[in-house]
Amino acid sequence: MNYPFWDVPHIGSGWVIGIIAIFHMMVALFAVGGGFYLVLAERKALREGHRDWLEVLRGHSKFFLILTGVFGTVSGVGIWFAIGLANPEGTSALIHNFVFGWAMEWVFFIVELTTAAVYYYTWGRVSDELHVKVGWLYAAASFFTLVIINGILSFMLTPGDAWLAVAGTGQEASRFWQAFFNPTYWPNLIIRCLICASLAGVWALVTCSRIDGGKKPELKTAMVRWSAKWLLPTFVLLPLAFVWYLWTVPESQRALLQLGISTIGMGMFTQVTRMMLVVGLTSGVIVVVTYAFAWRSPLEFNSGQALAVMLLALIATASGEYTRETLRKPYVIGRYMFSNGVRVASVDKLNAEGYLAHSVWTRRGGDGKLAKGEAMFRGQCMACHTVNGYRSMKRLLADRNREAINNLLTLLHDYKPDSPYRAFMPHMAGTKEEVEALGDYLAALTAAPASSEKPKVAEKQTPVTSLGKL
Amino acid sequence: MKSLFSSFYAWADERLGLEELVQFAKQKTVPVHSQSFWYYWGGLSLFFFLIQFATGVLLLLYYRPGPDAYDSVRQITYDTNFGWLVRSVHSWAANLMIVAIFVHMFSVFFMKAYRKPREFGWWSGVALLGMAMVFGFSGYLLPMDDLAYFATKVGMEIFSVVPMIGPKLADLVRGGPDVSEYTVHRFFALHVVVLPAVFLPILGFHLWLVQRHGNAVPPSEEAKPEAQRRSESFFPNFMMKDFAMWLVAFNVLSVLAFMFPWDLGPQADPLKPAPLGIHPEWYFMSQFQVLKIFGDLFPGTLGEILGIVVFTAGLLLWFLIPLYDNTQEAGRRARRATYFGLFTLIALIVTTIWAYLVL
Repeated sequence: MNYPFWDVPHIGSGWVIGIIAIFHMMVALFAVGGGFYLVLAERKALREGHRDWLEVLRGHSKFFLILTGVFGTVSGVGIWFAIGLANPEGTSALIHNFVFGWAMEWVFFIVELTTAAVYYYTWGRVSDELHVKVGWLYAAASFFTLVIINGILSFMLTPGDAWLAVAGTGQEASRFWQAFFNPTYWPNLIIRCLICASLAGVWALVTCSRIDGGKKPELKTAMVRWSAKWLLPTFVLLPLAFVWYLWTVPESQRALLQLGISTIGMGMFTQVTRMMLVVGLTSGVIVVVTYAFAWRSPLEFNSGQALAVMLLALIATASGEYTRETLRKPYVIGRYMFSNGVRVASVDKLNAEGYLAHSVWTRRGGDGKLAKGEAMFRGQCMACHTVNGYRSMKRLLADRNREAINNLLTLLHDYKPDSPYRAFMPHMAGTKEEVEALGDYLAALTAAPASSEKPKVAEKQTPVTSLGKL
Repeated sequence: MKSLFSSFYAWADERLGLEELVQFAKQKTVPVHSQSFWYYWGGLSLFFFLIQFATGVLLLLYYRPGPDAYDSVRQITYDTNFGWLVRSVHSWAANLMIVAIFVHMFSVFFMKAYRKPREFGWWSGVALLGMAMVFGFSGYLLPMDDLAYFATKVGMEIFSVVPMIGPKLADLVRGGPDVSEYTVHRFFALHVVVLPAVFLPILGFHLWLVQRHGNAVPPSEEAKPEAQRRSESFFPNFMMKDFAMWLVAFNVLSVLAFMFPWDLGPQADPLKPAPLGIHPEWYFMSQFQVLKIFGDLFPGTLGEILGIVVFTAGLLLWFLIPLYDNTQEAGRRARRATYFGLFTLIALIVTTIWAYLVL
């Protein structure tokens, strides 16, 4: 409301975040797990006298430095841009509440990036003992970046009663630690640590697959198998950690999963249930595939097979991240802010005074109903829906006439306790007139021919619009 | 438990000669080199075919060809428990099977695995790809939603441009002058009886040839002395990895079927105008575009006929490659064959993308 709306046609702004975030997580979690992998592998090589391991680890650390230091960093900044544009209200709330948290995070980032570079450039230039120490310093710094970010990410699902009690009073910072160590903090941290370890193994397998098994059979066998072992703890402990996690999430979110499972036969299961099944299946498949490719035939383990394991890891990570995001529905910050950026506490005010009246970046002064409807659509729907692409409004409303659209909007606006939409749709805020304008816009949208994306809003009827059209 | 299994194995072995099979599998080896990854794609094609077979049988339990076709698919998708999943898996696996066969075919081509003594392996393989595409074409109509109806209608027009016999041939395949319930009956018979009856023996022949001649190695590997070449046992090593690849494929298939369940559009209505941008399935888009290009260059029937002639000539050259690139030496002929393969691959990709861009 205090910011302009970002219109990303076809895929929607959520997927811009999603695409960047999925690849970022693959790299960021590797940055944490890979740090421990490098230093533990180096320590093992030195203790057991495997000097030939060091050359491989040196190559791996170069790959690691480039991937995490360049791609990880750039994609991390990309997430900031994307979330700031896609959900500015939510991002603003996170920044204001966790100023101290972000400051800590960036200190650890700087230490992490510096030590990663020092670790790579000092191979063979400093004593083995000192080199291992640099490795430990890197591993510790990267681990603490996870410790910090985990508090903020888990806060978004479960801010906790203590923080919610002061939310909106200006005293939020006084409950910083309660918000940080929120109900899902620990299980979330354990899950992420386990994923870090497995991703360290998966990425290391890519490096190890390039060792020439014909020339160095012992080295390849030992390193491939040692790397493969990094996947095992995750897949033994992850189901347990996940049960713990589910136990800590709010009842309403668990109900979303149960609803999905009970209706699976009819194909009505929720998106989050689908994702959960994909995560479970893929996690199991990774173990079996790694056993068959890497553990059983380490000498023949090649890049194609390593990439197949990587593809599975990507599917699991993407599904896991999507599940985490979807589980928050209908909120972007649990019980505090809906996914459309409307604060729970502001709904009554917006219903009385008007949603558009409080939207700073919409131009006022006209009475074009379709234009108002479009502005409502941008503000209240576009965080999750697109006109014609992902979660397409045209497709979702295709069979509804104006009256049916009105009934749906009334359900979302009234948001009664027994409304089935409460499980995943946010509370729609606005005056009756605004809701009606939105209804008109949506009806025109579904009636528009397939070739045109949006209903034509007459030029003279565009006083209320977003910054994008100014 | 172990002794019980051993006793059962001994009992079965005495009657079926299982040990001979195990010994054969143990003696069989698979080459190991930098291009070994491509060996999995034949197995992946087979895996998707098995999925097609299993899910196809399940769909057959509820599908009703003829005037009820659409309604029965609607019931499968929305009323029958897990019907949506079976249908979705069937549709996705059909597409993935064609992807896998294409990858397999091009890897065989670039490894020069069509040369003596593997000519029949190449011919049977290309025939299987052709049939897989006809499987796809015939199966696409069966739900009889508007997209299936109009896409088939467009596809059938390609038949009509064949000189002399084209229109009659199209009428014969359609069962009349237009796509109708008779077409559904014919496509259904083709899809579940005729094609499997022809496909399965050729598949068996293809697999037998693979066992007989073993895996081919690329020319670069062939040039190495015997002592420098590496291999691994088929059983259990390669087989275990082959199954692992199947598992990866199963995972990808599950993700697609779960996350993007196959849609069912509104019921086909011949009186309604065709939806905008109607086009055949992706694996026919290249042919579709080639015909369009020739149609633009030479307006009228001439363009259509020329398009078909050029495409058929290309296909014939592709099919007959073992006859004119038949020596093991890396001479000019071998290089030309490789260029031809590269040209075909690039042309397929470019014309397919082009076709989607100008829709």
